[in-house]
Amino acid sequence: MAAWDLSVKVEDLGPDAPPVTISVASDLHVGGVIIKLVEKTQMQRDWSDHALWWDQKQRWLLRTAWTLEKYGIHADARLLFMPQHKPLKLGLPNGKTVMLKACFSNPVFQTVMGICRMLNIRHPEELSLLRPVEEKKKKKDKDLTEEIYDLTEVPLSSVSRPCLYNGMPAHFADSEQMEGVYKMLSVTQPPPAPEVIAKQYRPASVVDKSHIHGRWLDSSRCLMQQSIQENDRLWLRFKYYSFYDIEPKYDVVRLTQLYEQARWAILLEDIDCTEEEMMLFGALQYHINKVASSEPQMMSSNAALDDLESALQSLEVKMEGDSSSASDLLKIFLMKPSDATLHFRPKRLTLKGYKQYWFKFQDTSISYFKSKEESIGEPIQQINLKGCEVAPDVNVAAQKFLIRLLIPAPEGMNEVYLRCENEQQYAQWMAGCRLASKGKSLADSSFQSEIQSIRSFLAMQKTNSGSSNNSAASDESINTHSLVSPRYHKKYKPKQLTPRILDAYQNVAQLSLTDALMRFLQIWQALPDFGLSYVVVRFKGSRKDEVLGIAPNRLIRIDLGVGDVVKTWRYNNMKQWNVNWDIKQMAIEFEGNVNIAFGCVTADCKIVHEFIGGYIFMSTRSREKSDTLNEELFHKLTGGHEAL
Amino acid sequence: MDDIDAMFSDLLGEMDLLTQSLGQETEPPERLPSTRQEINFSVGLTGLNASLHDLEDNDLDALMADLVADLNETEKKLEAEIQGLHAPPSSSSDLPPPPKGLGVQPASSITSPPSPGNNRSSSVTTQSPSTSSPLPPPPLQSSKPTMEEIEAQMKADKIKLALEKLKEAKVKKLVVKVVMNDGSSKTLMVDERQTVREVLNNLFEKTHCDCNVDWSLCETNHELQLERTFEDHENLVEPLLAWTRDSENKVLFQERKDKFEVFKNPQNFYLWKKDKKTLKDMKDKDKELLVQENFCGTSIIVPDLEGVLHLKEDGKKSWKQRLFQLRASGIYYVPKGKTKSSRDLICFVQFDNVNVYYGKDVKNRYKAPTDFCFVLKHPQIQKESQYIKYLCCDDAWTMKLWVTGIRIAKYGASLHENFKTAERKAAVSAAVWTNRSTPSSSSPSTPSPTIRAKTATQANGHAPKPQPGPQHQGIGNLPAPPPLNEILPPPPPDPVLPPPPPSLASKPPLSNFPPPPPSMDSLPPPPPPPPMDNFSEDPPDFLPPPPLPTSYSSLPPPPPPAPAANFGRNINKSLPPPAPEFLPPPPPDPVFVASGAPPPPPPPPPPAAVSAPRPAASLKKMPPAPPKRTTPMQQGGGGGGGGGDFMSELMSAMRKRTDQ
Repeated sequence: MAAWDLSVKVEDLGPDAPPVTISVASDLHVGGVIIKLVEKTQMQRDWSDHALWWDQKQRWLLRTAWTLEKYGIHADARLLFMPQHKPLKLGLPNGKTVMLKACFSNPVFQTVMGICRMLNIRHPEELSLLRPVEEKKKKKDKDLTEEIYDLTEVPLSSVSRPCLYNGMPAHFADSEQMEGVYKMLSVTQPPPAPEVIAKQYRPASVVDKSHIHGRWLDSSRCLMQQSIQENDRLWLRFKYYSFYDIEPKYDVVRLTQLYEQARWAILLEDIDCTEEEMMLFGALQYHINKVASSEPQMMSSNAALDDLESALQSLEVKMEGDSSSASDLLKIFLMKPSDATLHFRPKRLTLKGYKQYWFKFQDTSISYFKSKEESIGEPIQQINLKGCEVAPDVNVAAQKFLIRLLIPAPEGMNEVYLRCENEQQYAQWMAGCRLASKGKSLADSSFQSEIQSIRSFLAMQKTNSGSSNNSAASDESINTHSLVSPRYHKKYKPKQLTPRILDAYQNVAQLSLTDALMRFLQIWQALPDFGLSYVVVRFKGSRKDEVLGIAPNRLIRIDLGVGDVVKTWRYNNMKQWNVNWDIKQMAIEFEGNVNIAFGCVTADCKIVHEFIGGYIFMSTRSREKSDTLNEELFHKLTGGHEAL
Repeated sequence: MDDIDAMFSDLLGEMDLLTQSLGQETEPPERLPSTRQEINFSVGLTGLNASLHDLEDNDLDALMADLVADLNETEKKLEAEIQGLHAPPSSSSDLPPPPKGLGVQPASSITSPPSPGNNRSSSVTTQSPSTSSPLPPPPLQSSKPTMEEIEAQMKADKIKLALEKLKEAKVKKLVVKVVMNDGSSKTLMVDERQTVREVLNNLFEKTHCDCNVDWSLCETNHELQLERTFEDHENLVEPLLAWTRDSENKVLFQERKDKFEVFKNPQNFYLWKKDKKTLKDMKDKDKELLVQENFCGTSIIVPDLEGVLHLKEDGKKSWKQRLFQLRASGIYYVPKGKTKSSRDLICFVQFDNVNVYYGKDVKNRYKAPTDFCFVLKHPQIQKESQYIKYLCCDDAWTMKLWVTGIRIAKYGASLHENFKTAERKAAVSAAVWTNRSTPSSSSPSTPSPTIRAKTATQANGHAPKPQPGPQHQGIGNLPAPPPLNEILPPPPPDPVLPPPPPSLASKPPLSNFPPPPPSMDSLPPPPPPPPMDNFSEDPPDFLPPPPLPTSYSSLPPPPPPAPAANFGRNINKSLPPPAPEFLPPPPPDPVFVASGAPPPPPPPPPPAAVSAPRPAASLKKMPPAPPKRTTPMQQGGGGGGGGGDFMSELMSAMRKRTDQ
């Protein structure tokens, strides 16, 4: 067969180097071409990751046994010889950026699997890559200083099987620097400064939200085919809101990044919630940050104490509770009598105002007396706080320390206010009331920590009162604006926000780090709009744009004018769906002869198709027991005509 | 009677002492002496049992009297309607040994063999549980060989015991009158650790109903004309304590379709917007999927509910319409002139501190627009108050949607758990009638300490304590043993059989035996496992079988063969060597086992050691014999059970004597 000249650009020779020309015949296979090329370059290096890229056809020549003829390559082909793995800047859900080598030659689905393996995230099928939202030029100057965590040195081969070493994959244990990267991945970030939140792009409407989904990469094609270049920036995000089998023990990174994505979704109002829910999210963030920073070893929940030990401990507590501990507080009061005099007002609008009494805490009840001297006898009244509502009414600047108690009784709720003299007294009594309302006595081990958290919230109020105090969020002085979306920055001053978050905080203060993360995710997932990805579409026969919401188990049709859900279709009623690639229209048939068809406006048809197929794929996971990912099925469900 | 009482308390006191000194019963030899004591006790007990029945009423009266006297102190907590009887701590205190629930079992077990009547007594003596544990003590003496480990173990056990006593002493108990479907009522004792599910199971035993999942306990508030179904995981006592003393509130035992309707027809709640026909034609597979989606994920999904409801304004008489929305975090409404967007919603109520009730007769009482009203209030509120929130729906179906939705938001995964438990219970009771009786009788002892664990089976355990049908117990006990054996193949029993002869010959000889026990130590492994099993399952009940053997002890061989072939197999597997031939050495073992069971597992070996060489030869032939023993042993394995075994043996022996 006749020999002809094939010129190939070898990337390793530099951008300006002329193409290497070799003499080939049409029956030479690709492997042979590569051998000739390598010989000609005279370079000594590891070429194992290199492959040929055919520029005009936008495809890799990965089958080395195929001949040039079979590929249909002639002398005019522009070929590129380069590594399949190239560095990529990856924005993580927590806002940090890592640089790592990703595969440019396999379908994105596999690329993500590789990335997740390196980052130690299980269930990579739930994640995908998307093009980031462009940042404005101005900001870019600042961002130059952005820290990039470098993982490009990690040998690809070492990542194959993550064996744990010191609780982390072996490739993170190599050096201190690598451990630092792992820490970034696995430990939650401190709350962002309020300005950072305010500066970020926030979608204002459903249509805004739909635009982001036009950016997802196609899972069935490779990065090169989607014009992603070396060193480009992409975002790694959870795409399918169907989180399978979260196991805190193995999912440290996954859980952390999921939390970060959820947190930002809340802060940027990507998902709507009510004010009460926002306060709870705020309280959880505060708590998570506090716990995460105080126990850097992360997630290692102490194995339950051994039987005897815990028995002993509870015995101790019991003893104390039965005798000494109740008087513990009393002792303090006796030494400083003023501490124990609280002002008391039975009902808010009583003209009388506050009267001073001598108060005593016993188990879950408070009793009060005319004076300290009479405290040995019968109290004027004894109030059992179990099951009551406790709310703060505090203004540090005005030295107002009120505890509002709503005490249930057969006749209804009795409202009682206790006024404390100072911060110290307030913190103790507040903590006592809180515990008592949950049926715990002062002897409970959480008493001290409760006092501590009340104090730190008081401290927050103090520091925040100095207007915009944006000092870095250290533990004691978090700006509460860091915990809520900008909407509430306008609505409330930090010191107004503090008591509300503290209020929500009392319900979560005892959670471990893992539990708090899980709770955050649960509340997030319980929001009505959770898991909806929006796409603007035009239904067949309709003249206006509408929004299609894609959820893990259903599709919803939203009328843009009203903002209401007009119709819901569940996947389990779906019989089949088709894409007409020519007119970019999707047609879906549901049981009961329901047919819908729509064209996609803000995203490619393929993206919508992949979303639906992807969710159906996710729902098949629970049934198959094996740990291996059924990649073929995924492509079958999501690939469309290209997969075949 | 007084005498009996005195005897009884003495006995208990002694037992308590014994328990305290309890270590590991590894030592078989000592048993004999202890057995003797026990025998004496047992005599007392039997007498007691006979009279206990009579006592019950008197005691109750006395309790009542005490209660009334105590009312000033304990006040509030008791309801006339409820007949709030505190199973007064005082009563428990009288029984020195309060320690473990296990004790209870022994008592019951002892009683059971003689006559069903005993069961009643056991119910009365709930507090006495400790008795059983004491029995095992004899082994203590064996402590001579004591090792430091054992001491440590003993300490630990004592601490645990002390803790349990502390807890036990504080347990509140109420006597509750439950109104049945037909208007009649049943009275039962409920202790504060019992869940509604456990109480339901008790009621099933009493009523012989079909145990389907719809059976519920409901609370009615007469004054407010409210009604709600208790959730199965709730504790029953706590809400009852909120009732005022003079209230006419009632607890009803009824079938309530709406209790678990959401799991049977989830589409009606989660897809309520769809047309009726689609909902009706829903396939089972799709229903299952809905439950899966909403209850089995990382987060519980609350039905998407939104609609205009009529709200009775705080303390006013007028009703106002508002657009309400249900979310996992509470009920919200849309303020006038605002959109439905989440951020504009105003929180109407959160569920932490309120329960949801059905309101009755609201049209008349409050001039409500409709009678389909649900009510949210703090459980402690019992009278008219502005803090009670009334919401009216346009139709009954909407009301059901809201009430169910609120329950899902408030209780979350617990509801699903409750349903699964109820389903299991229904299936079991449908399948096997006998099963029920066994677990119930045995459980009482262990359950009390561990009640918290709440397994379905355990729940049954409680039943016996209160006053659950004695008849069942009696029946249950006898049949029960066989199953137990299966569960507890423990080898030790085999050896036991042989021992009887020696023991009978003379107790002193037994004491000599001490040496064997040590050898046993080396063999300990086999015995321990059985005890564990017993604990978890049903420990004490089988007593009946064992006694016979003991009485026969002189006639060792006969009883063993009789036992089921199954047992024999099990035994063989576990302890093939001990083969029946050796019989002589083993006698101590049984005792050991019983005592040892609770804390350490050491006992079984002794027989083996003695007979070790022979077993191999005889093993094959002998297999059948061991089975019988095994049954008794199982009890021993249980720990508490072991005690029971012993007791039962004694009992039978005693009976024989008396008969003669």
